[in-house]
Amino acid sequence: MAAENLPAAPTDTADAAGRLGRGMPAEGAGAGPARALGVARMPWLGPQPARKLLVGGIVVAYAWVASASAPFSTRALISVLIPGAILGAIAYGRPPERIPPPESIDVAGFSYWIVTLALLFEWEASAFRAGAPWWHPTLTDLINPMLTPHPVRGAAFVLWIAAGWGLVKR
Amino acid sequence: MTSEVITAVGFGVIIATLVLLEVLGRRRTNKIPTTGEWLGYIMRPRAGRALILLGWLWLGWHYFAR
Repeated sequence: MAAENLPAAPTDTADAAGRLGRGMPAEGAGAGPARALGVARMPWLGPQPARKLLVGGIVVAYAWVASASAPFSTRALISVLIPGAILGAIAYGRPPERIPPPESIDVAGFSYWIVTLALLFEWEASAFRAGAPWWHPTLTDLINPMLTPHPVRGAAFVLWIAAGWGLVKR
Repeated sequence: MTSEVITAVGFGVIIATLVLLEVLGRRRTNKIPTTGEWLGYIMRPRAGRALILLGWLWLGWHYFAR
């Protein structure tokens, strides 16, 4: 009797979220706390969902507290420097799995970005050079009123940290 | 149309152009890189990586610490 005629031993075929067909999380995939939180039903979280939720909660809470700081205060400055230092340490000390960058990019295609960004900086610089009068406000003068409400400022802070994490992964 | 409105519209047009470039970049039929692609390319060397991360930090300082 040939060995290849024997059925293969059953193996767990858990997907990335650690589910086994019937929606139950596989063992070893953060099943304990993850299952308690019901995160087994959130495959978009990927591996280690409980850890990601915990980190996300900490970031949101930190952003809420940090965005309550008064402008130009030491607390506001430190609130910005702390995530900067943490992400900098992660980027250079213990970088995550990075998204592979392209070997090359099309120069003509990239030139569109360069020209548009140069226009943005020039439009901003012209306003700044003119002393940001009311008739030619800077981008900051236009955005700051939108960032005044605490929830909006907190959400923007979360987006800023998320952008930083995205850059660390590049 | 006041100068203030012209300035705001100017910013809006530029930002809309940036969004359009990103949308076009995600279409594989053209060669415009996406934001992630050109940022990743610039961040390949260590100096580029530091420069972009410092730029990110400056943005945070500018909008949240000031």
